[in-house]
Amino acid sequence: MAKVLMKGCEAVAEAAVRAGCRFFAGYPITPQNEIPEYLSRRLPEVGGVFIQGESEVASVNMVYGAATMGVRAMTSSSGPGISLKAEGISYLASCKLPALIVNVSRGGPGLGSIQPAQSDYLQATKALGHGGFRVMVFAPYTLQEAVDLTYQAFDYAERDRNPVFLLMDGCLGAIMELVELPEMKEPSDENTKKWNLRKRPDEKRPARALTPIYPEIILEMENKTRGELYKKWEREDVKVEEFMIDDAEYVVVAYGIAARVAKEAVITLREQGYKIGMIRPITLYPFPKQSFHKLNYDKVKAIIDIELTIPAQMRDDIALEVMGRAPIFEYGRSGGNLLDDDGTYDAIMKVIKEVG
Amino acid sequence: MKQSILISGSGGQGVLSAGMLLAQSAADSGKYASFLPEYGPEQRGGSAKCTVLTSDKEIISPLPKKCMYWICMNEQSFKKFGTQLKEGGVLVYNSNRVTSPITRTDITAIPVPSDQLADQLGNPKAANIILIGALLAARKAIVDPEHFLKSLEEKFASKSDEIRELNAKAFKIGGDIGKDYAE
Repeated sequence: MAKVLMKGCEAVAEAAVRAGCRFFAGYPITPQNEIPEYLSRRLPEVGGVFIQGESEVASVNMVYGAATMGVRAMTSSSGPGISLKAEGISYLASCKLPALIVNVSRGGPGLGSIQPAQSDYLQATKALGHGGFRVMVFAPYTLQEAVDLTYQAFDYAERDRNPVFLLMDGCLGAIMELVELPEMKEPSDENTKKWNLRKRPDEKRPARALTPIYPEIILEMENKTRGELYKKWEREDVKVEEFMIDDAEYVVVAYGIAARVAKEAVITLREQGYKIGMIRPITLYPFPKQSFHKLNYDKVKAIIDIELTIPAQMRDDIALEVMGRAPIFEYGRSGGNLLDDDGTYDAIMKVIKEVG
Repeated sequence: MKQSILISGSGGQGVLSAGMLLAQSAADSGKYASFLPEYGPEQRGGSAKCTVLTSDKEIISPLPKKCMYWICMNEQSFKKFGTQLKEGGVLVYNSNRVTSPITRTDITAIPVPSDQLADQLGNPKAANIILIGALLAARKAIVDPEHFLKSLEEKFASKSDEIRELNAKAFKIGGDIGKDYAE
């Protein structure tokens, strides 16, 4: 299929439709409004349902309802709205319901700013809601990757019976780039028919119930199962780009839009003869721990964490894997200011000069 | 080679549509392209800005600190973004609205009375196309002017002949000014 020039939010929305998503509920917030705007037109065209809920809380619970029926369902928001959806996301996880949740993130904390920022790493990876559950967190860095990950997200969600989270920033939401869209999948409840509540006239089976509430002994078993699932993700589902790290003395770590800017700087510095590479987590959870363990710490002089937020949030996860074997530096921008090529190059250069 | 174009003005002047047209025409001509609008709470009358990149290779960073080309449509944004044009860059500006003197000597400045010319054509909205015409005539490496014209035709295929003719005329008027600055 030919490549088309699309806006980030719209590309993600179209990829969801092509993955068979037929239900969206959400509430407006910048910079993700183009997702609901697009789907309000697109979903009815394919027999799907679009609802602008009365609030974020209502919207995420509508997604819960749709998911119980084995319908591929999604919601989207930005930081402040994701906070409001937190309770619902926790209940989705508790009830073991698949869904796609998209955060097109902006500045924080609080109302922050409507400008792009990567301010929700901690929220996405550590606590999307109460209760200690986890979700897979995908962080694309191009629109093509955003499309591909959105398309796959529903499969992962149904495989694991767990919500999947797509974290992109306002920059990727607003940018237009060339994308190749995947083929249109017919909606199917094949993966969920063992448990979904859809009525099948041809099937004689007892009535079913789904619940997010468990008796104590079952709750402990459920949580053990979850723990196993998260470990399995770490073994089998990590997505990462390792760029020129084999002989690297300086290792940049960045995801999403920050990784675009950082990669440009890494390429420039390589051309200038510096032994520099980059680790780009694509799944922020499960975090690509192994990439850090394969570094040659006899050579590594510095790890440089670059994020479009201040202070850096991924740093803790990096530090857990680096285990003091190399110093960690951070560089970021905040308050509606974007990272840019020259500024990022200069920041890396400053570290190189500092550590020698 | 990666080409970077900054377009700035006020909301309603066609800043973002000019950027999208440029990016689309680059894509249509087989190049890689990215278009990044800088959004704010403003609507009509507020400031509008976007960055367009075109390249024969895949675009890695879409966030250059400075751009090689700048289409500036009003005085307010001229004062605000002056440092974002690279040394040796090209400034195409709406000389009806940008009233500050051009003091930089390390750039090529192309004054285009785009408001006046668009009014003479009978549609003030054509000012952005006039400015693009001037830039592309001066620097064909961004997008070949022929390709741009073709994409413009396709974009407005459903509109009246009158509008399509207006676009073509506007593009040519700008091109006539820009070609004197061609490399």
